[in-house]
Amino acid sequence: MNDDDGVFRALADPTRRHLLDRLFERDGRTLTELESELEMSRFGVMKHLRVLEDAGLVVTRRQGREKLHYLNPVPIRLIHDRWIDKYTEHRVSALAELKTTLEESA
Amino acid sequence: MTTMTAQATQVYQVFIKATPEAIWDAITKPEFTERYFYGARIENTPELHVTLGPDQSDWGQTPTYEFEPPRRLVHGWRSAYNPELAAEDESRVTWEIEQQDGGYSLLTVTHDRLEGAPKTAESVSGTGWMMVLSGLKTLLETGEPLAG
Repeated sequence: MNDDDGVFRALADPTRRHLLDRLFERDGRTLTELESELEMSRFGVMKHLRVLEDAGLVVTRRQGREKLHYLNPVPIRLIHDRWIDKYTEHRVSALAELKTTLEESA
Repeated sequence: MTTMTAQATQVYQVFIKATPEAIWDAITKPEFTERYFYGARIENTPELHVTLGPDQSDWGQTPTYEFEPPRRLVHGWRSAYNPELAAEDESRVTWEIEQQDGGYSLLTVTHDRLEGAPKTAESVSGTGWMMVLSGLKTLLETGEPLAG
């Protein structure tokens, strides 16, 4: 829950990133559809989807007898806000300071 | 990155360290929504979902279909901030709030019935709902709107 570790762990596997890319192209897909695009057993795909679901990157919805998988990009956004913004902001302000210092000494 | 065809059903989910009641207030009262919803003042009554733009301009209203504080809100959606999008068919937004352990709540937003509103679907996917939900989380957890 609200756990960056789970998101990073989920993203650390190429098959899971591939699944996210497939869902990014078109989501609301069933396990059978996702499985047909991967060289992997149904059980293997299920296991990977489970890790993505636990990390909050995939949300499932039941529709009749089918379970549909949706991409939830919010945790990636939160990591972006938490990690990327912070460091790019720092770098920009460091450059701004450098510029001020250089211009003052010129 | 491959381009995405925006989906007719979109699901977004976020854990927020707040009570369901606090989240309910934050999504139904204009004094909260203006701090994270692109400056829009949104008021949800049991009958209507009414939106004013940041400049107090009328962004129209859509019906409220379900109003069960603090668990479930369903209302119509029209992207009235853009005339081209506003002309498309009305779609539907469902907010579900579930209490979790440790003072957290799970908020799920489902935007569906977008079949007749492809441009709206494109507009709200990507950063659209994500910015709203990460802003809402920040506001409720820190009391501050997102910078920038």
